[in-house]
Amino acid sequence: MIETIELTKTFKTESVETVALRNVNLVVEKGDFIAIMGPSGCGKTTLLNILGTIDDNTSGKYTFFGQDVCNLNEKQKTAIRKRNIGFVFQNFNLIEELTVYENIELPLQYLGWKKKDRKQRVDEVIDQLNISHRKNLFPVQLSGGQQQRVAVARAIIAKPPLLLADEPTGNLDSMHGEEVMTLLNDLNKSGTTIIMVTHSQRDASYARRIIHLFDGQIINENLNMIR
Amino acid sequence: MISNYFKTGIRVLLRQKGYTLLNIMGLAVGISVFTFIFLYIQSEIRYDRQWSDHQNIYRVTSEYSVDGKVEKIALTPFRIAEDFIRDFPEVESATNMFFTDPSDVNDVSSVTYNDKVYEIPDITLSDQNFFGIFNYDFVEGNPDTALNTPNTMVISTEMASMIFGTESAIGKKLNTVVREYIVVGVFEKKCNPTHHNFDAVVSVSSLEKEGLLRLKKDWYWLTCYTYVKLCDTTDIESLAIRFNDYADAKRSELTQEENLEIDGYFHNKFEEISNVHFNTDLQYDSPSNIDISYLFIFGIIAAFILLTASINYINLATARSLKRAKEIGIRKVIGANKRQLVFQYISESVILTTISFILALSLVEMFMPQFNQLVGKELTLVGSIFSGEGLFFGGLLLLMIFLLAIIGGSFPAFVLSSFNAATVLKGNYSIIHKFGGQQVAAGLLRRFLVTIQYVVSIGLIISTFIIYAQMDFLKSHDLGFEKDNIIVVNTPDDTSFRHRFPKFLVALSKDNSVLEVSSAMNVPGYTESKMLFYVGDTSKQNIQALNFYSIGYNYFELLRASIAEGGHFEYNSFDEEYNSYIINEAAASFLNLDTAVGTKLNISFNENFKEGKVVGVVENFNFSSLHREVEPLVFLLNPKNARYILVKFKDGQKDKVMAHLRTVWEEFNEDSFLHFGLLDKKLESLYKGDNNMLSIFIYFAFFVIFISSLGLYGLTSFLIQQRTKEIGIRRVLGGSEFQIIGMLAFVYLRVVLIAGLIASVIVFILLSSWLNTFAFHISMNGWYFVAGITITLIIAFGTVFIRSIKVVQEKPSKSLNYSG
Repeated sequence: MIETIELTKTFKTESVETVALRNVNLVVEKGDFIAIMGPSGCGKTTLLNILGTIDDNTSGKYTFFGQDVCNLNEKQKTAIRKRNIGFVFQNFNLIEELTVYENIELPLQYLGWKKKDRKQRVDEVIDQLNISHRKNLFPVQLSGGQQQRVAVARAIIAKPPLLLADEPTGNLDSMHGEEVMTLLNDLNKSGTTIIMVTHSQRDASYARRIIHLFDGQIINENLNMIR
Repeated sequence: MISNYFKTGIRVLLRQKGYTLLNIMGLAVGISVFTFIFLYIQSEIRYDRQWSDHQNIYRVTSEYSVDGKVEKIALTPFRIAEDFIRDFPEVESATNMFFTDPSDVNDVSSVTYNDKVYEIPDITLSDQNFFGIFNYDFVEGNPDTALNTPNTMVISTEMASMIFGTESAIGKKLNTVVREYIVVGVFEKKCNPTHHNFDAVVSVSSLEKEGLLRLKKDWYWLTCYTYVKLCDTTDIESLAIRFNDYADAKRSELTQEENLEIDGYFHNKFEEISNVHFNTDLQYDSPSNIDISYLFIFGIIAAFILLTASINYINLATARSLKRAKEIGIRKVIGANKRQLVFQYISESVILTTISFILALSLVEMFMPQFNQLVGKELTLVGSIFSGEGLFFGGLLLLMIFLLAIIGGSFPAFVLSSFNAATVLKGNYSIIHKFGGQQVAAGLLRRFLVTIQYVVSIGLIISTFIIYAQMDFLKSHDLGFEKDNIIVVNTPDDTSFRHRFPKFLVALSKDNSVLEVSSAMNVPGYTESKMLFYVGDTSKQNIQALNFYSIGYNYFELLRASIAEGGHFEYNSFDEEYNSYIINEAAASFLNLDTAVGTKLNISFNENFKEGKVVGVVENFNFSSLHREVEPLVFLLNPKNARYILVKFKDGQKDKVMAHLRTVWEEFNEDSFLHFGLLDKKLESLYKGDNNMLSIFIYFAFFVIFISSLGLYGLTSFLIQQRTKEIGIRRVLGGSEFQIIGMLAFVYLRVVLIAGLIASVIVFILLSSWLNTFAFHISMNGWYFVAGITITLIIAFGTVFIRSIKVVQEKPSKSLNYSG
C-alpha cells in the first residue's frame, strides 16, 4: 500500500540545514497497524506528515497504492488525501466554529456528497462512536476524550483505507486514552490501515509493528507479539 | 458547501465580536465620512450649472480704484444691462437683479393679503429677461412674460403655499406699504443650487419713474447684479475690452459734464456663472459663496480618510485572519483544495465589506439631518446618488468595496492557503514568523501609512485648538464699543412712518428698562456703504472713497463709543438740514488731517447733501468683522432717514424691554411685522463661516483619530501575535506588565512623536496664513502643539494598552505555549 525509498527531508534556514528524515525505507501493507516511536525531534511527525501528503519530502521516493506521490501537484495530492487518508491529531484540530455534526460532515462536503447521503453516513458514524447526543455541541463544550472521538469520527467518515494518528492520546487522561486506543484497534480490525506516532509504550502495544526512529533514521523495527 | 462557509464565517465573526465590530465600524465610518464629504462637494460644484447654456451665461462685476486702493464689488451700475442689449450684438440677453442683503436677518419685507400680514425674507427687483436667462421651473405662470409689466411679482412655491395655501397664486393681489402687486408666477426655489437669494422678485418697472431714470443714467451707482447671456461664438476677452472702452467713453462724457476729475480707474469683469459660487473676493456678494480651496482640502481629507480606513480594514482583517491559520490547515488536511479555500475566505470578506457598506449608507441616512444642519443644506442620499456624478460615485464605491473584499480576504485566501498544511497546522505563530515577521508587522509601508495617519490626526487636533482659541479671542475681543444688550429693530417700509418716527422714539424710551434709544441707516456688523467724498476745499477736487454711516442722535452714547476730539452732534429738530460729520481716528489719519475738527466734507454726486464739516473725531471701534482692520469711516448726522432703531436696555431686562417694544410697535405700526435682532448675535454671525470650519475640523479630527486608532490597534495586534512568546519569556525573566507594555508601545509612540513634529510644521505654516486673514488674531502658542501631540500620545498609548493588557497579564505558561 505504501512504500518509501530513501525518503529524506531537510529543513533549511539561512545558516543551518537540519536533516529531519534520512533515507527512510518503509513498506506498509494493507491492514497494518504501525506505531512510530522515538525521542522528541527524531522526525516522527515529519514522516507522518509526508505519508499524509501534507508535507513534501526533499528527496527519495514515496508511492501510495503504487502511485508516485512526490511528483504530484497540490491539487492531485489533495485528491489522494481526501479519498484515502484520515487524520487524528494530538490536539484534536477540530474547527471551533463548527458543531460536532458539522465537523464530522466536512470531509464529505469536500468530496461532494449529497446532503441526504451525508446525513445518513454521519448519523451512522456518530452512533457507532456513541456521540449522537452531543452532535449539536461545539468542540469547546466537550471533554478532551469526547473531542478526540469526534476527531476520529471525522477521520473515518469517508471510509479512508489509511488512518494517520499523531499522538492521539497525548492530551488525554489514561481512561479516555484507553477508549481512543480501543476505537483505533477496532477500526484496524475492520480493515483500516493505521500509522500512529506515539511516545507511549502502552499505546504502541496496540500496534502490530513498532518502528523506532532516531535522528531521522529508522533504527529498528519490532513485531508486536503480545498483540 | 456554501452554507458551511457562511456558517463558519458568521460564527467566526460572532466569536471575535470586538474585532469584527471594530473592523466593520472602522470601514463603515470611513465610507460614511467619505460619502458625506462627497455629497457636500457635489452639492457645491452643482451651483449654477443647471441653467440651460450655463457656459454662455456670465455675471458682470466691478473693480475700481479712486484713492490707490482697489475695490472689487459684485454689483454694477443698473444701466449696463440695457447698454449690452442695445450696443453689443453678441449679447443675446442681459438682466439685472437688485442687491438684497440675505445676511441681514432684519431685512425682510411685509406683504398683506386678505388683511393678514406675511413676511418675505428676501425680495428683489428684476426685469422680463431674468427668467429667460435663468430657467427656473415655474409651477404657475409663464416665465417668458413674467415681470414685463409694472407692479407684478413672482414668488417662490414656499411663499405661495404660506400665503395662499392650496389656492392658485396667479392674479392674486399682494399689498406692501408702497403699492399693490399682482402675482404672475410661482417658481420652484428648491433643487436649484444658486448664488441667487430671493423668495420673491418684483418687476423693476414698478419703481417710481424718477428713481428709474436716475438709475438708467448713473455710471457710478453700484446697485445691482448684472448677468449677460452670450452667443455661442462670443470671444469673452474681446467683449470685455470693447465693453470697458465703451463704458470708459460714456463715463468720461459724464465727468466732463459734471466738471469732475477722478484719478483712478473703473473696470467691469466677466465671470462664468458656474464660477460665481467660488468667488470670495468681492464685496456685496452672496454669503453662500465659498473658497474653492476648502473643497480641495475637504476632498483630500475625504480621500485620506477612505484610504486609511481601507488600509486599516485590510490590516485588521489580515490580523484577524491569522487566527484562522489552523482552521485552514485542518480544512486542507481533510481535503479542501485551494480553489475552495479561496472562495470561502473571499466570500467571507465580501460579506464583511458588504455589511460595512450597508452600515455606512445607513449611518449616512441616519446622520443626514445633523449633517445638513452643520453645512446648512438640504441634501438627500437618494437625490445625490441618482445623478450623473452620483452613479459614478456609487459605482466607484462598489468597485472599491469589492477590491477591499478581495484584498482583505486575500491573506487567508491566497497566502495562508498556499502554505503546506503541516506548516499552517503549527498555528499562526509559525506563519507570522515565516511571513508576517518581515512582511506584515514590520512592513515599512504600513509604518509609513500609520505615520501619515498620525500627521493628519495631530495636525487636525492642533488646528482645532488654534481655531477654537481664535474664535474665543474674537468673542472676547474689545471692539471699542459695547455690543451687549442692544436690540436692532427694522423700521417699516412705510413712507408715512417718517412722520411718526420722532414720537415713536420718544415712546420707546419711556420705560425704565430702556437706557438709550437711537436710529441709523448703518449699524456695526450690518450692511455697509461707501461714498465718494470731496475732502477739504472743494475747489481742489480731492475725492476719496470712504466708508459711510448715516446715523441719528445719541448713536455714540448708546454704543458707549468715546469721542477723542471735538464733540457730539448738536441736537436740533428732526427737520433741519444736516451737514455735520464725525469721523473716526482711522479716517483722520488716512486723510492726513492734523486738526480734523472743522475740515470741510461733501458727498459727491448727491445734490441732497450740502457741504458740511467735521465736528468731532470718534475713537476707533471695529464696525465690521475682525478680519478687517478698523478702516476710515465717516458718520453723517441724518436722523430723518433711518433703517434701524437701536434700543439699549438694562442688563437682565430683555423680556421686559421686548414686551415694551411690542406694545409701542403695535401702537405705531399695526400693519407691519416687528423685525428685530440682537446686535451681539449679529456680530457673532459674521464669523459663521469660521465657526462652521471649526465644527468641521472638530468632526474631522474626531473621525481621523478614531480611524488612526483603529490602524494602530491593527498593527498592535500583529505585533502582539508576533511577540506573544517573547512576552511570556520576558514575564518569566521578571519583566513587569508596565515594562512590557512600554516596550510594545515604544515602537508606535516614536512614530507619533515624529508625526507630531511633521504635523506641527505643516499646521504652523497653514494656520499662520489663516490667522493672517484676521486683522486681529492670537499669536500661535507652543502649548497648542504640545497639547495636540500629548493627547495623541495618550490615545496611542491607550490603544496599545487596551490591545496588549490581556496578553501581558496572561500566565507566562500560556504565552509560552502559544501557537494560535
